[in-house]
Amino acid sequence: MTDSFLTISGFRKTFGSIVAVEDVSLNIPKGEFLTFLGPSGSGKSTTLYAVAGFDDPSAGDISIDGRSILATPPHKRNIGMVFQRYTLFPHLPVGENIAFPLRVRGHSAADIAKTVKAMLSLVRLEGFEDRLPAQLSGGQQQRVALARALAYDPPVLLMDEPLSALDKKLREEIQVEIRRIHQETGVTILYVTHDQEEALRLSDRIAVFNHGRIEQVGSGEDLYARPATRFVAGFIGDSNFLKVREVERRGSAASAILPDGTRIENIPAHAGNGHAATPELMVRPQSLKFVQGSGAGLAVKVKDVTFLGDTSSVLLETGWGQEIWLRGAGSAVKTNALSGPLHVEWNPADSHLFC
Amino acid sequence: MLLSYDRLGGLRFGLWAITIAICLFLLLPVLFIAALSFGSSQWLVFPPPAWTWRWYGELFADPRWLAAAWTSLKVGALVTICSVVLGLLASFALVRGKFPGRLWLKALFLTPMVLPVVVFAVALYALFLRIGLSGTLIGFVIAHTILAFPFAVISITNALETFDKSIEDAAILCGASPWLAKWKVTLPAIRLGLFSAALFSFLISWDEVVVAIFMASPTLQTLPVRIWGALRQDLTPVIAAASTILVVLTLILMAVAGLVRKVFAK
Repeated sequence: MTDSFLTISGFRKTFGSIVAVEDVSLNIPKGEFLTFLGPSGSGKSTTLYAVAGFDDPSAGDISIDGRSILATPPHKRNIGMVFQRYTLFPHLPVGENIAFPLRVRGHSAADIAKTVKAMLSLVRLEGFEDRLPAQLSGGQQQRVALARALAYDPPVLLMDEPLSALDKKLREEIQVEIRRIHQETGVTILYVTHDQEEALRLSDRIAVFNHGRIEQVGSGEDLYARPATRFVAGFIGDSNFLKVREVERRGSAASAILPDGTRIENIPAHAGNGHAATPELMVRPQSLKFVQGSGAGLAVKVKDVTFLGDTSSVLLETGWGQEIWLRGAGSAVKTNALSGPLHVEWNPADSHLFC
Repeated sequence: MLLSYDRLGGLRFGLWAITIAICLFLLLPVLFIAALSFGSSQWLVFPPPAWTWRWYGELFADPRWLAAAWTSLKVGALVTICSVVLGLLASFALVRGKFPGRLWLKALFLTPMVLPVVVFAVALYALFLRIGLSGTLIGFVIAHTILAFPFAVISITNALETFDKSIEDAAILCGASPWLAKWKVTLPAIRLGLFSAALFSFLISWDEVVVAIFMASPTLQTLPVRIWGALRQDLTPVIAAASTILVVLTLILMAVAGLVRKVFAK
């Protein structure tokens, strides 16, 4: 990418003998909303804190606009950050919290008053200037923290799981606010979360972290439809991983023979099976369809049906005893006579072979 | 709960009686002293034959008492400053530091609390005689600071442990240097702990007598030392008046402290 604004290259971080981040490189264009998604301990927060300047990289470089920021101490990096925990200054009212970065920078009183007003209206908390942080709800506190982090117009905003302490409904409400604020300000955002739904909802692109490495970077759609590794396929969305007896590879496609002898042609094949040594076939529960009549497809038995409103989930058992899920519109599943031997099929292009 | 107050029945009255007895036992001597300081009898007769302000007049007319009170205030103020500043620095090291022997250091800082005061006083006296600090204001301040320091460390480490360091990090990312962030954000946030540390430090110095007796010289005495000395010479109601003032000042300080805590807590 030529227009990279924030660049992380070859970033590595070790704590003693523990390797927190193996090797991370990212090119982030100006104005992008990029999310670091991954399980805890995958290195996503460590990478974010290195950008903030609280941890020095063991190796690699981080640069903004072509200039390395590693030699700049955190208070001179001019980066905004919203933390996982509530970090409003407890002794200062909301207005003074937002004014703090401006006062430190020696802005004029008139300028500060104007900016505080603008920031409060940006996060929709007009009239809250004189409240103390303890008088606000968790969601309001994080919105004030967002206003404070944006008050000095930083080129980069870091967000470290800012909504993880909030309940689901409030979380979704503030996600909408964050999207709107990102669109209104055009600030480049690095966002850390372990919640895939949050990542899909907010981001332009998602970098999936695992064991201190990035497994894949792409839009939510990319990651869902074209996962590069078994880990990404398992982490984004629901998935079935079928055992495979034999694989015949032909370039980027392959044929697989399942344990019961069923042969599936033309499956997109990937090398990234970090988890297991044996090849596996990934297919989404909603890609599976019951086949009318018999003969074609994969023979299964129905073990359980769960009604979920719009959809139903059906637990199936394959001929070799593996359990897989099928999801379909509630009515479509019900019209089938779910007894006796059945067959399911799917479009091979929608499945992925990891070998 | 097995042992609940409501289920104690008649035993409850027994508990009340014990409680009241203990309270009286603690309070009566102080109340007697206060009453005697207003009594007209030269020999501290109780109940007093008549009431008078005379002993307070004598107290305030005597330059030795005033000098002692002034010394007490001076020592107390200096001890408060030294103990809070040192306690703050030590607490940052104990809470934020990651160095081997941290817990041992904390234990060492707290030893003046458990060391017998007399032992400590004798040891310090011997040392101060040798280095010429005995009978000086600096000697007084050092001695009392050592006694007050553990209490400052406890108050401030407690406050610092409950303060989320992310808040200080947020201030730094907002553009404040690490020093400015501590000054503008961390210290105001732990001010209640600092205040407790200051209060404890002052009170410890204010009513400390054992170490002070060793540190004192005929020309440099704190109020408790002066009371002790006067008691050994002659028993006069002026001592009761001085003691009452000591108690009243302490009460006022505690009341102000309670008020300040209430305001801070808001």
